[in-house]
Amino acid sequence: MSGVPHPDYEVVIGLEVHAQLRTRSKLFSPAPVSYGLPPNHSVHPVCLALPGVLPVLNRRAVELAIRAAVATHCTVHPHSVFARKNYFYPDLPKGYQISQYEEPIATGGWLDVPVPDGDATRISRVRLHRIHMEEDAGKSIHDPAVVGSDATHVDLNRAGVPLLEIVTEPDLRSPVEAVAYLRTLRSVLRYVEVSDADMERGNFRCDANISLRLHGAEELGTRTELKNLNSFRSIEAAIEAEIERQADVLDSGGRVQQATMAYDPATGRTRVLRLKENADDYRYFPDPDLVPLVIPSDAIEGVRASLPELAEARCERFQVEFGLGEGDARILTESRPLADFFEAAAREHGAGQSVANWILRDLLRALKEREIEVDGSELSPRAFARLIGLVDEGVTTVKAARELVPHLVESGGDPEVLIRERGLEAVSDTDLIGRAVEEVIAEHPADVESYRGGEKKILNFLMGRVMQRTGGKADPGATRALLARRLDGEEGV
Amino acid sequence: MAGITREEVERVVALARLSLSPEETDRMSRELGAILGYVETLERLDTTDVPPTSHVLPLATPLRDDVPSEPIDPGLAVSNAPRHEGSAFVVPKVIEGEEEG
Amino acid sequence: MSGPLGTLSELRDALDAGELTSSALVAASLERAATLGASLGAFIRLREPEARAEAEAADARRRAGRVLSPLDGIPIAIKDNLVRAGEVTTCASRILEDFVSPYSAGVVERLDAAGAIVVGRTNMDEFAMGSSSEHSIFGAVRNPWDSTRTPGGSSGGSAVAVAAGIVPVSIGSDTGGSIRQPASFCGVVGLKPTYGRVSRWGLVAYASSLDQIGAFGRSAADVATVLEVIAGHDPRDSTSLPEPSPPCVEALEADLSGRVVGLPREYFVEDGMAPEVRTAVRAAVAELEAAGAKILEVSLPHSEFAVAAYYLIATAEASSNLARYDGVRYGHRASGVSDLSDLYDRSRSEGFGDEVKRRIVLGTYVLSAGYYDAYYRKAQQVRTLLRRDFDRAFSSCDVIATPTAPELPFRLGERAADPLRMYLGDVYTVSANLAGLPGVSIPCGLADGVPVGLQLLAAPLEEAKLLGVAAAYQRQSDHHRARPPEEA
Ligand SMILES: [Mg+2]
Ligand SMILES: [Zn+2]
Repeated sequence: MSGVPHPDYEVVIGLEVHAQLRTRSKLFSPAPVSYGLPPNHSVHPVCLALPGVLPVLNRRAVELAIRAAVATHCTVHPHSVFARKNYFYPDLPKGYQISQYEEPIATGGWLDVPVPDGDATRISRVRLHRIHMEEDAGKSIHDPAVVGSDATHVDLNRAGVPLLEIVTEPDLRSPVEAVAYLRTLRSVLRYVEVSDADMERGNFRCDANISLRLHGAEELGTRTELKNLNSFRSIEAAIEAEIERQADVLDSGGRVQQATMAYDPATGRTRVLRLKENADDYRYFPDPDLVPLVIPSDAIEGVRASLPELAEARCERFQVEFGLGEGDARILTESRPLADFFEAAAREHGAGQSVANWILRDLLRALKEREIEVDGSELSPRAFARLIGLVDEGVTTVKAARELVPHLVESGGDPEVLIRERGLEAVSDTDLIGRAVEEVIAEHPADVESYRGGEKKILNFLMGRVMQRTGGKADPGATRALLARRLDGEEGV
Repeated sequence: MAGITREEVERVVALARLSLSPEETDRMSRELGAILGYVETLERLDTTDVPPTSHVLPLATPLRDDVPSEPIDPGLAVSNAPRHEGSAFVVPKVIEGEEEG
Repeated sequence: MSGPLGTLSELRDALDAGELTSSALVAASLERAATLGASLGAFIRLREPEARAEAEAADARRRAGRVLSPLDGIPIAIKDNLVRAGEVTTCASRILEDFVSPYSAGVVERLDAAGAIVVGRTNMDEFAMGSSSEHSIFGAVRNPWDSTRTPGGSSGGSAVAVAAGIVPVSIGSDTGGSIRQPASFCGVVGLKPTYGRVSRWGLVAYASSLDQIGAFGRSAADVATVLEVIAGHDPRDSTSLPEPSPPCVEALEADLSGRVVGLPREYFVEDGMAPEVRTAVRAAVAELEAAGAKILEVSLPHSEFAVAAYYLIATAEASSNLARYDGVRYGHRASGVSDLSDLYDRSRSEGFGDEVKRRIVLGTYVLSAGYYDAYYRKAQQVRTLLRRDFDRAFSSCDVIATPTAPELPFRLGERAADPLRMYLGDVYTVSANLAGLPGVSIPCGLADGVPVGLQLLAAPLEEAKLLGVAAAYQRQSDHHRARPPEEA
């Protein structure tokens, strides 16, 4: 049902994303931000919430939060306040999380999201309610294989890592739209280098608030909150499952209860984690260990001026400037390193569409096989443009050049030198080709006879033989022309 | 905002993660009732349009450069723990999903 | 040497003159701490071998002509809510009974760098919550002037250590009067600096926006010397003021001519204080006037709301600050816990004493849904009004004089059943914490055989002016030279 609206109910979705800010140290602690270390190998007395420790805010985290806010058209507030959200949990060492509550760093932005709609794409504007900074909790390890059946282990390596919480208005109307929003948001955060937004590493996490209402109804239905969705596929499936569950409840005359839900990929269903009762009393109040965060307006303007061109604008520009189709332009601008690579190579080479074709056909495959991004490859835009140029000039063949792409990605190098060293020059020497043609004709008299008797398809077979004989270096156009001329007209040399 | 009922005390005690005996709860209700009764003096004061003060400091929050420090030795990190295994803190089994936040 | 130690300046002169070694001084201090200090319940732990070794090092430095500071080689006591790497800090609480800190407080680092020799950690009200130093798992602290009475609190041990001549100076913390009130009850000088003056890094928090570390001594000059050592910016504390340590000692010579001392009309109402207190404070004001100060009536119209606002804010912050004591990473854990709830509820209930639990519950209630605006927010608005009162008052006077406490030291155990009555005793001290002002209590006489304290308050960062007035008063009077009867 993903693309199709629900027949009876309008689906209302709001998303909360927690994106890890790209800093070297934690939000309020100087402990390093790390990944994959053994428990408590990346902590400081502040992360352990030892008696007497105090928080000091990370400047870089603030700069990144401003970047994200400006990139999503939010209003950055010159005065914002850190508050304590109080609750007990073993991986929350202080017994409170330092977050922002009544006065967040930014509010009121939007993102234009391309949503697949049949074969086309429509743009949907999703409003952002707020962006705030907060610290991550640690990790509770429940896996009985690791910790036994009667214990939970607590690892505070992640405790205090800086997060940006980005909250939408309830503007999303389908699981597809939700995922499209998340893709766009992730792209923006990566473009402005605010977050790696890597879902597998848990630094781009999503909670979804979902409710249903009858089509045309004004009032919002009771919502549930789906927690900790960690892949685009599971997000879409989980939201669909929760819509189905709520629709079933409503269809059978029941009422949706406010609850926190979890999605179980094994069963494809959502289940209640806990009902939201008045037990949720976080007793927010301004953190007395911190004073207000003050951001001078020229700092905000400085960030605005330094912000790179974002994917949407770049996609449009690529269409105009390089004559690309919208589809190609969208793929090329999905990640900033790829767009940078394309743009540099296209400028070097001159013909944008040709460079786009080479990227889409050959380069992306080579990158995918190696599971790397273009900025992790050894291939420079200049070398790539040169390689395509060598094909254009007839110095080498398309086939040889395509075979070189994986090598260039892996080890780099000068395409011109590589072609020479490996003997991949296109053979345009008519003597050489002529000799090969004569040899093939002499070796295959019966086939030549058949051709001349009208079986023109034999030409391809003979062509293959000639190419084989030249080691694939012969220019295919010239070869084919010569062969046909020999077979069709001239009887001997 | 007068007094405090026994039920309210029980709710707040649970929120504060304490447990009190019935006698302690009664005593707590009485004592908090007296204190809250005294605090009622604040009702006489009109504070409309008075901005709240969290801090009297004339400061904006200072910012620290994003330079990581050497982490504390993991053995030292868990050295005060009532229970630990390797470098992890150990608590009784927690049902997954009890998480908040 | 078994008698009381001299003042800091006397001891320093003796060290400088070579009449005394730090080793001998520290040995005497430790001996007195182990005898008289023990009978008064003043200490939680002595640093017996460490202090002796440090004293020898101080003597070696002095012989080599490398004296680090005016505190070099001087024995000092610190309240047991300041952490030091490798040492137990208990806060007088069962929940921290065995807690060994892996790091040191900023103040401890500064004392070390100055060569001061910490001889012991002083007893206190658990987590600094109280005004009597009775709420301690190590037992009550006793007033050296009358051992049936309280020394005040929560820094009772630190006040007693100075009053009993065990150390010349000591460190305490003041959240609502916890330095000034015990200084008043014990007849010593107690300074609470401007909020943000002294780093809170490594001070076990009670109420973060009110807590401030300060010093006890027998003269204004002695606490000024300590302040110069412990004050100054610390980048690890976001509420630390950027100002460098204030040069106070040199300002102490100024006389009182031209100084205006404000008397808040609201504090001197008829039934506001015990008659003995009134008499002593009035006399002190007259002495100030005689010494050249101009006395001016000022108004602090919101004073009557200060105690209510203080207990709402302090307990709210405390309820959150003390959430970290959950039996997971350190501290007391109840035995045989069945599940996580059991772990939390029992560890905390066993680990905290009654007064701490009372404040945690009150603070949790104050912040809980539906009450925040009526209590917490309202209290913060009162804070704004109080600060405005003081700003207005200090536009016409240099310091404000008040009693430190409304009554004489009460009997041990007397207030145990009446927490509200205990809280009301903080009426003159809490405003300085709410407004972030520096304040000092100085001895201004004896009544009924026990001391009375005069409190002086100044505008933020005006410690030099504040201590200047205190020093000038002490040049006129001998009250600070009175010593408790020697029993040990
Ligand atoms: Mg949230
Ligand atoms: Zn969050």
